[in-house]
Amino acid sequence: MNRNPLPYVDHFGLSPADLRAVLEAALSSGGEFAEVFCEHRSYDFINMEEDIIKETAEAVSLGLGVRVIRGDRTGFGYTNDLALDKVRKTALTAAAIARGRAVAPAVPSLRPRALRRSVYRAASPASAAGLGRKIGLVREAYAAARAYDPRIVKVKVHASDSLTTVCVANSEGLLARDVRPMVKLVCSAISEKDGKRESGYWGGGGRVGLEYFRDVLTPRRIGEEAAREALTLLGAADAPAGEMPIVLAPGHSGVLIHEAVGHLLEADFNRKRTSIFWNKMGKRVGSPLVTIYDDPTIPAFRGSYAIDDEGTPPRKTLLIEKGVVRGLLQDKLSARLMRGAELNGHGRRQDYSHWPIPRMANTFIAAGRDAPEDIVRSVNKGFYVASLSGGQVEDSGKFTFSVSLGFLIEDGKLGRPVKQATLIGTNIDILKRIDRVGGDLEFGLQTGTCSKDGQDVPVTDGCPTLRISAMTVGGTS
Amino acid sequence: MKKAAGKEPSLRDLGEALVAYARKCGADEAEVSVVDGYEFNVDVRKGRIETLIEAGSRSAGLRVIKDKRTAYASSSDLDLGTLRRLARNAVRRAELGNPDEFAGLAPAAKERVEAAALRLFDPEIARLDSKRKIGLALETEMAALRDRRITNSYGATFATNEIRSVLVLSNGFVGEYEQTYCGLGVGLQAGDTDHRVEDSWSSSKRHFKDLERPEEIARKAVERTVRQLGPRKIRTQNVPVIFEPTQTAWLMGFLFGCVTGTAVYQKATFLAGKLGQRIGNERITVVDDSLIPGELGSHPFDADGLPGQRTVVVERGVLKSYLCNYYAARKLGLRPTGNADGGGVGPSNFYLEKGDLAAEAIIAGTKKGFLLIRTLGHGLNSVTGDISRGAFGLWIEDGAVAYPVSEVTISGNLGRVLEGIEAVGTDLEFLSPVTGPTVKVAEMTVAGE
Repeated sequence: MNRNPLPYVDHFGLSPADLRAVLEAALSSGGEFAEVFCEHRSYDFINMEEDIIKETAEAVSLGLGVRVIRGDRTGFGYTNDLALDKVRKTALTAAAIARGRAVAPAVPSLRPRALRRSVYRAASPASAAGLGRKIGLVREAYAAARAYDPRIVKVKVHASDSLTTVCVANSEGLLARDVRPMVKLVCSAISEKDGKRESGYWGGGGRVGLEYFRDVLTPRRIGEEAAREALTLLGAADAPAGEMPIVLAPGHSGVLIHEAVGHLLEADFNRKRTSIFWNKMGKRVGSPLVTIYDDPTIPAFRGSYAIDDEGTPPRKTLLIEKGVVRGLLQDKLSARLMRGAELNGHGRRQDYSHWPIPRMANTFIAAGRDAPEDIVRSVNKGFYVASLSGGQVEDSGKFTFSVSLGFLIEDGKLGRPVKQATLIGTNIDILKRIDRVGGDLEFGLQTGTCSKDGQDVPVTDGCPTLRISAMTVGGTS
Repeated sequence: MKKAAGKEPSLRDLGEALVAYARKCGADEAEVSVVDGYEFNVDVRKGRIETLIEAGSRSAGLRVIKDKRTAYASSSDLDLGTLRRLARNAVRRAELGNPDEFAGLAPAAKERVEAAALRLFDPEIARLDSKRKIGLALETEMAALRDRRITNSYGATFATNEIRSVLVLSNGFVGEYEQTYCGLGVGLQAGDTDHRVEDSWSSSKRHFKDLERPEEIARKAVERTVRQLGPRKIRTQNVPVIFEPTQTAWLMGFLFGCVTGTAVYQKATFLAGKLGQRIGNERITVVDDSLIPGELGSHPFDADGLPGQRTVVVERGVLKSYLCNYYAARKLGLRPTGNADGGGVGPSNFYLEKGDLAAEAIIAGTKKGFLLIRTLGHGLNSVTGDISRGAFGLWIEDGAVAYPVSEVTISGNLGRVLEGIEAVGTDLEFLSPVTGPTVKVAEMTVAGE
């Protein structure tokens, strides 16, 4: 793009010299590393339900966080008063973790780092568009869901967009800035028949502008897909219970990789040796068909960013190669403590009031060679996972994911739709049981959020059609 | 509470000024809430401080109504210029919405609840020095790590919050109160790398003196962790499931989501249209009570400025009341219950009333069953009431624990669970705002091999 539609605008009133002085104050008690993270976010929200635009909201968030590291200790303070004396006081609070005489070399003068190629694709930024235009998109999705079928009895559409400006400065002389757009339009629909109700959900967005809803995913399609899911579920049977072969639809099912692999390759869990993977670097943990990456640089994706929240330009990171553990998602603290570890730009935070931790961005399992139809045909009796609503993992490798819509597989064909069920397994067992991988890599809805240590960040996941030879399905029949 | 610097306007002045300004901009009605918080948090791990946070922050929220159209705004930047701009924008945005005959502020209530009587604020928390707070976390973790069966630690945390909240409505209501929270907890692992089990325990209170002692927290965390060592997977079957209080808590959280007025008018709950009907057996009485002194969920007034109250939600199995903010109540033709929270409905102290059997007696009276101690994943659908979650538990045989079970799921439906509760324990404690005692459900599906 020749013209950057999202120029950096200073919201903080702190010059490079001010930031340097704050960093020096932060190091005054013996800290080895200090960082200031300034953030301004403007956010718009529209809610349509009961056939009316029921409310709109606008939010402004402004503040900064100061972090001081000494060894494995972190001191952290934040403030939403950016007067220089308040910021200095915050720095001194964070500095108190170190308790001693200054040891770090003087902070070099700060020079803004030029950003490389942008990952944002907002030709027509939502933050600059009038509310009327956004309301138009909401109404379109709403009307499409409502009109889809008379059994659709309730519809809710939410649109939100934000523009986040960050400025990171640290005691190594880094000064990096980023302006991040985000858009999301989601629809939920409730169907009713004979007193029985079901719900469907669909949506999209990402680091894009409003042109996305014309060129990539229309509001109409969002409304129709939500309605379609709600209607399909009306005819769905209870999910089966017990162990059986599983086929995962492409796209949504990336949640499995996010839970089963991604979290447990975050560097902090490995440095602390709580993750089942901590002693498995270079070792085989899964089938040779399994190769997994996390790539924060995919243009327009919800999980992408030009720099992470520590100012590091991210790169596509290989996590698992043909079943062998190859990499970890790193942030600065873990990379410092795991001597020799390279940064790969996965230090993220929810906002200025949280410190950065290793996080996923866009996690996916690479495409294999099988034709998706052949994978379904290969299963005599099993469970096909069509859409997922989330999951959870613990460090032992036990993980779950929740299916919102599935189908029975009978004699190699998709049969009846079945309702929600949770699937559970242990990652090192399940990774070994992935025995067919399709060539059809897709990504899930651009609406996902990942939670860790009380911090939420936007992510996406992807995967091709996969077969798992056996996994426990938590239905009732 | 840390005092604001001398010349700054008080939160109340700020709220009143902003309400007046929004009215001047053309709002028929306006509501401003301002929160001033101070947070302390220390994480320790393996005997060393890992992170220390100390910070104060403020934020303001605004609701304006013009010609029955609503707009919201919020900001963490309390600069009056920013707030005024947000107020002007909100009035302008309201004009782009649709009129909603139910929009509007609640009329100011005649009754007021005395905040002081609720004992929400503990001055001792502000007086605790950092050394003491760090010491509590260190002591808790150290006590846990003394047990040889514990092989790794997620660390211990001590945290405190001091919050002052102000609510100003254009109908003349002005409310203000202070509250405190403190919490101490530890997370642990046992077993070797490929066969790890984990659990944690924490205590969270408004008053420092009510907090469980470090050795007590450590003991519970250790016990909860090591009892899962050497788990088996079981075959798929329908069996009685006993919920520990920590598990009844999420069951009640799910029930709460199904009885909010908002979910009812959106038809997003299977309990819509069931008011006055039997939704469970006679052992089930569920109450939402914001007036219990000193408890985590208590408050003198809600986000609509309406006084807190005690509401019987389910009485001996009959659904007696939905929980409503003013908007949902008007929409459904019901009375508001003092549960307004943000723009929606929130629980205060929402709990299942205790029964008459000790938890030990419930277990002893179970010939074969699954004692649920932990869940993984979400798997709750309020539209249908369906439940399907990853589960960890203890297998019960002839009234005693036989062995731990993992990598299974439990599934069922909240409606059938409420009908099927055949025993309710005496062990109700307000460990969290949404809570309940041990319960035994006659039958759920436990899926394994």
